[in-house]
Amino acid sequence: MSLFRLPDSPLFRIASPEDILLSPKPWFVAITLALAFTANLLPLSGFFLALRPDFFALVLLYWAIHQPRWIGIGLAWVCGLLTDVVEANLFGQHALAYAILGFAAGYFHRRVLRFPLWQQALHVLVLLLIAQAIVLVLRLMSGATLPTAAIVLGSFSSALIWPVISALLQWPQRVRSLLD
Amino acid sequence: MHGRVTSLPSEPPRFFNRGPSPIARLTFFGVISLALMFVDARFRTLETIRMAIATVVYPVQQAALLPGQMATRMGEFFDTREDLRVENTRLKAELLTASQAQQAQLASKQEADRLQKLLLIAQTSTTRAQAARVVYLGRDPFSQKAFVDRSSTQSFEPGSAVVDELGLLGQLTRVHPLFAEITLLTEKDFAVPVKIERTSMRALLYGRGPGKSPELRYVAGNADVKEGDLLLTSSIDGLYPSNIRVARITSVQRDAESAFARIECVPTAAVAGADTVLVLDKPPAPAPRPAADTATEATTRKRR
Repeated sequence: MSLFRLPDSPLFRIASPEDILLSPKPWFVAITLALAFTANLLPLSGFFLALRPDFFALVLLYWAIHQPRWIGIGLAWVCGLLTDVVEANLFGQHALAYAILGFAAGYFHRRVLRFPLWQQALHVLVLLLIAQAIVLVLRLMSGATLPTAAIVLGSFSSALIWPVISALLQWPQRVRSLLD
Repeated sequence: MHGRVTSLPSEPPRFFNRGPSPIARLTFFGVISLALMFVDARFRTLETIRMAIATVVYPVQQAALLPGQMATRMGEFFDTREDLRVENTRLKAELLTASQAQQAQLASKQEADRLQKLLLIAQTSTTRAQAARVVYLGRDPFSQKAFVDRSSTQSFEPGSAVVDELGLLGQLTRVHPLFAEITLLTEKDFAVPVKIERTSMRALLYGRGPGKSPELRYVAGNADVKEGDLLLTSSIDGLYPSNIRVARITSVQRDAESAFARIECVPTAAVAGADTVLVLDKPPAPAPRPAADTATEATTRKRR
């Protein structure tokens, strides 16, 4: 993890589990979720589409892990339903996958945060792969053909940017904690 | 239990009332999801809900297109004069050939009209076409969709054929207030009734899903089919206007074990790169099937 070294300022240090941060603003949570949703809608196709991280699932997971009392199974389910509509596919497949993500995040949130960021990313990878496997099984049951193996790339790239997403989403809270 | 804390409990104590337990909630939402999937796949009664959500979300989708559009516009700005001139020459040449073809077609149409009048066949009206722009391709890795924008004056109808300048692209499947969804002909099990231009033999072209070329199914192994044959819509379903180019045969494999030949095709239309498309109105409804036909069909179904 010494590949990219951030400047040694408290502004850039990721909060450890012992640090107590102020709780995030609800509007910040809502805006980041909306932005992640928009980022998922970027008009990509082919290989780049497969490579694109699932920003929506990532941000959803982040808030479900850090604020499990705000973002739970129900909200994750609604987000999945939105994804189903914009992807114009079977109603409920992403809803189910995201609801399971929300459940897992609520179940693991105390445990995951004890790990350094790159180990958190491994947890995230496993969770996202499970979510993709659920969608895959549901689609195969509804008669779709097996897509290319490239679709799992999205989960890997998502896990890779987990540290960045964590740092970004934590930034306002850390700054506010420092200012106080 | 002997004074050692092994792990934190993952559940808060019972006296903090937080509603149903997570596993109960997951089960609840899981069952709803499965029910939704079943209803959506079998009955298609959720289209109004889908349409409502899609219309609300559409501005967000438009916002996501902005960076790409800006990049294209910047790219256009830096197009060299030479590029534009080359393109202009090419377009002029194409226009010339197209107008020649059109003149030839006009003549043959007049001829056909005259003959039809002679034969007292009902005149085929020219189909109306509405232009639309492809906004983005579908993101679902399991299906082949494209989305076009739609102005409020355009009256799209689900089931209409969609073509680009090279051939058939697919079919409109969902029409939302601001946009419409095209299912591309490469979608798995998307069937198009076609005829081979050279022999006018009828057949069915089936899509096989992403990354695979469509194939002609149920064509006998000894049928007169060759590589390079052009497939046109046969209008036998009353859905697509007739004689639209659909695909070109790329390989024919005849197998002694199978009664059918294995025929792969490549769509003539730019399926993955379509830009501007035409939505064609459905041809007038064909005459209803004779009653005897449906009766026999019902009995065969009963027997099964």
